[in-house]
Amino acid sequence: MKGVHIWVFYISFLVSFQLLIGQQKDETVSIEVSDSSSASEKTPLSLRFGVDLYRVILSQVSDDFNGIEIVSDLRLGENFFLALELGDTKTTKEVDQVNFTTSGNYYKLGFDYNMNENLKGMNNDIYIGLRFASSNHTQVLNSYTILDRSRFWPSSDLPVDIGYATGERSNLNAQWIEVVCGFKVQLLKNIYMGLSLRLNRLLKDKIPENFDNIYIPGFNKKTEENKFGAGFNYTLTYIIPFRSKKK
Amino acid sequence: MEKKFLSLISLMIFFSCERDDICIVSVTESPDLIILMLDQDNLNNRKTPAGFSIRALGTQNILPGNISDSLTLPLKIQKNYVQFEFILNLGLDNENIDTLQINYKRIDNFINVACGYRSNYILETSPVIILNPGDNWIKGFTILKDTISDERRAHLGILH
Repeated sequence: MKGVHIWVFYISFLVSFQLLIGQQKDETVSIEVSDSSSASEKTPLSLRFGVDLYRVILSQVSDDFNGIEIVSDLRLGENFFLALELGDTKTTKEVDQVNFTTSGNYYKLGFDYNMNENLKGMNNDIYIGLRFASSNHTQVLNSYTILDRSRFWPSSDLPVDIGYATGERSNLNAQWIEVVCGFKVQLLKNIYMGLSLRLNRLLKDKIPENFDNIYIPGFNKKTEENKFGAGFNYTLTYIIPFRSKKK
Repeated sequence: MEKKFLSLISLMIFFSCERDDICIVSVTESPDLIILMLDQDNLNNRKTPAGFSIRALGTQNILPGNISDSLTLPLKIQKNYVQFEFILNLGLDNENIDTLQINYKRIDNFINVACGYRSNYILETSPVIILNPGDNWIKGFTILKDTISDERRAHLGILH
């Protein structure tokens, strides 16, 4: 299963990168075309929204993941975007000695800054960004094993799957920041495809009683010693230019 | 600019590589039950029974550690009791076997993802039942510490 995820990631990465490179080869053509219309230069304000395809696909192919992420950004300036992502996730994971189900929702609010100097008529972004993110979630401990190195009694390695520490821990939450980098490529007039990578730093999380937030919706897997996580999304978005302003 | 972008990407891929979690050996596991064999006439005296041996019921495994006036008995995780045969004068004509059932409650505490949980136990108020009443060489029991959360001191005294 993990192998599939990795391949989905690599393939989408390569495809989108090639699109980006392919478009940049047409630079010379664009210059000639756009020179004539330079008098009416405008920075369109626009709202772009869509969905993370990776989570959609993963929900289809995996029994252990069900989730969706809605992405949007609002263009506020030439290269400056207000960005918001909303997500909902339910996933069952087996990590080392524990098997648990995490469910919950999250939002990520922040900005993207485009570093790509577009030539006339092109609207591709290579950006870096920052998010503040927050989740509300529930952890259900399905089963676990007990540390017993001597294994004196038979079947002492069988997981505990009823009673004792198993069960639900609700009303949990977490806050973190994400450093984002990615690109958005214009496929059609109003359709964009994007890929972003995220490095997450946990600020605060409400620890479930007698357990841990091993996985947090939107943040992904939390490592024990340090508080870093990582993630990505692969988006298909639709843009609505709703206002133009003179430059 | 492109170089910066690429280095940022590689940094993120580097951070997203998951390391394997390992339960390090120094993490203590679930504690065993520590028993002292005490003189029934003087509870302050430890006394090793003659020809003393113990068999665990439900496994062929030999008990780890010495069989003397201080015993370390592993508790069962799957059940809330364990049964042992306490044997006096092993192999002799006057061999006497008392079968004991030790009753306890279990509480599991989270350690970490790699190690899982550690069990602590609480001895029931009547911690031991003799399953073969009659000619018993074991005369009584005394709880020394009802919470079994470590192996630093004895939890149960057996009088003989």
